[in-house]
Amino acid sequence: MTDRSFGAEVVGRPDGVRLQMRGDLDSRADETLRDAYREVATSGSPGLTLDFGEVGYINSTGIALVVRLLADARRDGRGVRAVGLTRHYQEIFRITRLSDFMDIVEGDAA
Amino acid sequence: MTLRRSAGVADSSADSTALTSFSLPGLAGNDREAMDRVAAAVADLELPPDRVDRLKTAVSEAAMNAIEYGSHGRADVPFDVDVVVTPTDVIVRVTDRALSGPVPTDPETPDLERKLAGDQKPRGWGLFLIEHMVDAIDVSADEAAGTQTVTLRIAREEKRHD
Repeated sequence: MTDRSFGAEVVGRPDGVRLQMRGDLDSRADETLRDAYREVATSGSPGLTLDFGEVGYINSTGIALVVRLLADARRDGRGVRAVGLTRHYQEIFRITRLSDFMDIVEGDAA
Repeated sequence: MTLRRSAGVADSSADSTALTSFSLPGLAGNDREAMDRVAAAVADLELPPDRVDRLKTAVSEAAMNAIEYGSHGRADVPFDVDVVVTPTDVIVRVTDRALSGPVPTDPETPDLERKLAGDQKPRGWGLFLIEHMVDAIDVSADEAAGTQTVTLRIAREEKRHD
């Protein structure tokens, strides 16, 4: 059986920190994502890349968690971009206007 | 896009074919299970991939509403999913036990700027997403049975606008 449980790892890179996520982004990701952002905040990095490359499912609660993270990042003056979104989830980020507040990088660009 | 509340959906559907019908416990996470089962049921229809993705998101959101509001997240309060296909459309019905009463059909429109400013709660995207994913959504109640049904309809092909 496929393990779809959510996980997030904060990785330091020359261009800022990257939050590498995997699994299903839904209500059960709440605490993990909150803790991950705390780790990002302590890094002091001015930029954050959200890597959705291994996220197979995002529901509306997952969208709400991204909204909360984006609000926290804006409060902290931290720019956010997203990589690894499928075309469908890019569309959802456009419909919800998340794409107005973060750069959406097509493909798996670094 | 049509969103309406009706006394019941009459699918005259002499030309409709049932693809699958199942029930799931009203537990968090079964929104994805419902989505995956519907996707498997329509796999042989060879729908355009973007329409399959839209249908999947609409089904998962309808199922999540059923779980949260219809079942209150209780395993012993199930929700039901029926999928039928007509020559032109795929129709998915998600029926819950309506523990929270009727689904509001006029919820506050999500406003991302207000959410980012903390003036609106981060959640509240479900119905908004469904409306953008399918061609029609209908909500009906069966008071005698104590159930509520959300019916999603999506065309099998993108309609041409010549």
